[in-house]
Amino acid sequence: MKDLIRKLTEVNSPSGRESKIREVILNELRNFIDGYEIDKLGNLIVWKNGRSDKKVLLDAHIDEIGVVSSFIDDKGFIRIEAIGGISAYNLIGSRIVFPDSGIEGVVGIEGETPQDVQKNLKELNFDKIFVDIGAKNREEAERLVPIGTFGVYSAGFIDLGKRIISKAMDDRIGCAVLIETIKMSNPYYKLYGAFSVQEEMGLVGASVVAFNIKPDFAVALDVTAWSDTPKGYKRMSIELGKGPAIKIKDNASISDRSIVEKLRSIAEKNSIPYQIEILIFGGTDAAAIQRTSAGIPSGTLSIPCRYVHSPHEMIDIEDAENAVKLLKALVEEEE
Amino acid sequence: MYLKELTELSGVSGYEKKVRDFIKEKIRDKVDFIEEDLIGNLIAMKKGRTDKKLLLCAHMDEVGFMVSNIEDDGKLSIIPLGGIDTRSIIGKKVIVGEKEIPGIIGFKAIHLQRDEIYDPPKMESIKVDIGVTKKTEAESKVKIGDFVAFSVESINHGSWFSGKALDDRGGCSILIDIIENGIDLYYETYFVFSVQEELGLRGAGVSAERINPDLAIVIETTTSGDNPEFPSDRRSTELGKGPAITFAHSGYVVDERLFRWIIDVARENNIPYQIKRRTVGGTDARRIATTLAGIPSAVISIPARYIHSPMSIINLDDYDNTLKLVSILLTKEARL
Repeated sequence: MKDLIRKLTEVNSPSGRESKIREVILNELRNFIDGYEIDKLGNLIVWKNGRSDKKVLLDAHIDEIGVVSSFIDDKGFIRIEAIGGISAYNLIGSRIVFPDSGIEGVVGIEGETPQDVQKNLKELNFDKIFVDIGAKNREEAERLVPIGTFGVYSAGFIDLGKRIISKAMDDRIGCAVLIETIKMSNPYYKLYGAFSVQEEMGLVGASVVAFNIKPDFAVALDVTAWSDTPKGYKRMSIELGKGPAIKIKDNASISDRSIVEKLRSIAEKNSIPYQIEILIFGGTDAAAIQRTSAGIPSGTLSIPCRYVHSPHEMIDIEDAENAVKLLKALVEEEE
Repeated sequence: MYLKELTELSGVSGYEKKVRDFIKEKIRDKVDFIEEDLIGNLIAMKKGRTDKKLLLCAHMDEVGFMVSNIEDDGKLSIIPLGGIDTRSIIGKKVIVGEKEIPGIIGFKAIHLQRDEIYDPPKMESIKVDIGVTKKTEAESKVKIGDFVAFSVESINHGSWFSGKALDDRGGCSILIDIIENGIDLYYETYFVFSVQEELGLRGAGVSAERINPDLAIVIETTTSGDNPEFPSDRRSTELGKGPAITFAHSGYVVDERLFRWIIDVARENNIPYQIKRRTVGGTDARRIATTLAGIPSAVISIPARYIHSPMSIINLDDYDNTLKLVSILLTKEARL
């Protein structure tokens, strides 16, 4: 599974520019599905027939947070805007790659005196940072990275053994879990896998993905925050390596009670480790799917992830493997 | 071009009737179908060479206020409808309610201020003064729930135009021009004049759901920032540089195929254009895109200075070039 995660996380596809990752995922699944569709917003929807007519939808978003070039000055320095919830603090000292051209750059900060730099660091925002691609002048920068070019963190996959790190665990780990689940399962339900776009812009793809499918229930697969680092989030109890997290609630939705109980009982029955998650902020595609058409019972299964939205998001591989086990059992188990 | 007429009508969010009636009167005989829906959107359709559907959207509403209370001294407490900078409204003339009672937005005079001069006035310390001294007197003229709209005469500077509510009467005017000009439309084209955009894109989604178009283009009037004191690297658009084409804004990355198609058409036809550089703020495109099974959407805007204030200004060449670009786009099949 690590190889798959490496492959998926090394693709650079920010929100609105998902064609590359969509192609990689489709090629990965082509021989394991009964059909697929790319819808009008660019969501990839695949399906695998089951013994029942009832439908289950599993969703993972394929986009990652990023930036977009918005201005180039006379010396070729590039100003950027955020695509999704990317923090200027995480950008300082980071590298950015613009996948259209493969051009890389580093992020710098304004400051005319050391005190000025300190002050800017304290009150950092996108007005005070820029990307340096080593261009000679405006013309060269404009040719390589025209205004409106999307970029992402340039940060490699790191294998620490049980723990792995990447810039895009959010949510390529969900994609990997979904791909493995589709490959390995012999579903009872008709299984739909939605690889949705623009989650980081506000659940754009997921708002429409369930409209034509009208599933009987849905589970979104995404990362969640953590509490197991020095002075980590209190009022939460999520730890890496303690199993996938069955979400009760976040800031955007309350999981359907029946799905929470179904996931919990399957985990108990199959001795799959799990955690119960109440996230005190954030939201997942489940919030959009839940409100589609006449309403669709929806929940979220989360992979605990440290340093979410930084260039180095860390997960525990066993949590992902256990999520696959849990989802496989979910889609295979007769009612 | 109906910028003067449209910008001198009042139509704050939720109270768009006068604007709607004006537009309806102008276009009713020139379209194949017209109706008002239950939330107040005005929808007109013109047939095209195919029966594929395109939705062209501009919002009728403008930012303004609503009377939330009538105080004992006859002054009116107000709440904003849409995003308004309180620093831009002090001392401005307004009209209140259907009877168009004139008033001014009052605040403590500069002579009586101390440190508060450094902070934007708070909404709760701003009152509308309609020239009465008693609550009962005020109640005979206005009531709680009445709209409060800026009351401003437009200025035609020649190649520039100033007025209130250019966001988005500018877009409305473009749509009317397109209807009147009788363009050879490729799509069955739905002209949607939407309501309550400024309160959170409330009208457009309803129309998109009924029409279920193959694609949508939102025509907006957008912020510029080309004030001399504002550094050029932080501006969003600049006046006189052509229609602004959006790659992404709050809540939506514009469909990449449509974004590139619009740029290509502008280039092929030598129409000046600019890429909108900042991503703050949103448009009806977000709501339309996420409707039903998904509707690819794009945004083209006339750049304007000082929007969401009592007076804004556009360059009429930008208006003409926006009209020209959209008109050409509508004769073609979109690249999807």
